[in-house]
Amino acid sequence: MAFQNKRKFCFFKENGIVDIDYKDVKLLRRFVNDQGKIMPRRITGTSAKMHRKLVRAIKRSRSIALMPYVENNLE
Amino acid sequence: MRYYETIYIVDPNLENTILQKTMTEIGQELEKTKAKIINHRDWGKKRLAYQVDNQKYGSFILLQFEIKELSKMNDFDSWLKLNNLVLRHMTVSLDQKPDKYVDKSIVTEDAESLSDNKDNKIDVEKSLDPETTETNKEE
Repeated sequence: MAFQNKRKFCFFKENGIVDIDYKDVKLLRRFVNDQGKIMPRRITGTSAKMHRKLVRAIKRSRSIALMPYVENNLE
Repeated sequence: MRYYETIYIVDPNLENTILQKTMTEIGQELEKTKAKIINHRDWGKKRLAYQVDNQKYGSFILLQFEIKELSKMNDFDSWLKLNNLVLRHMTVSLDQKPDKYVDKSIVTEDAESLSDNKDNKIDVEKSLDPETTETNKEE
C-alpha cells in the first residue's frame, strides 16, 4: 500500500543496511502485509540479494514468536 | 572459531531471583560444552505474536557465545528443550564477533569509547524515521 505510486528502490541499499537482524521487528514489519504475509519483491522493490536476507530474518522472527505466522485481519 | 546466538523465551511471571537462577543455570550448562559466553542478558518482557504454552507474554533472553566444538551443542539444545521454564529457544550463527553489551544507564561515562559501536545502531534508527513519517502522510 505504502509502496504504490512511488519510485521503486531497495530500502536496504538506500539506507546502507547490510545485515538484517531478525530481532528488529519494527523494520521487518514494513515488509509484511496485514495478514502477516511476506510482500513480493515486485511491490517492495528490494534487491534480490537483500530480499533473500529479509525472508530469512522474517522466518526466524516468526519461529521465536516475535512476528506472527498468520494474522487474521480480514473483515 | 564461530560465534552463535541463542535466544530463549522464559515464563514472564517468574520472580527476578528465580529468573537470575535459571539464567545462571543455563549459562553453566552451556559452559559444559566449553563455550565462551560473551553476552547473557535479559532483553525484556515482550508480547508474543502468538500464544506459546498458553502464554501471551514472555521474557526474552539473549545469549551470545563462541565455541570450537559443535558436537556437544546437540546436548545443550536438547537440554533446553527439556527445561520446563524455557518456552521456546532458537540458536543462530553470527557472521561477526558480537560486541559486548553495555547497559545504557552505565554508558554515559564511557560514551566516547563506545561511540564506534553505537553509531551503527543510531544510523539505522535515523534512516527509519523519515520513511515512517512519509508513509503516515500518504495514508
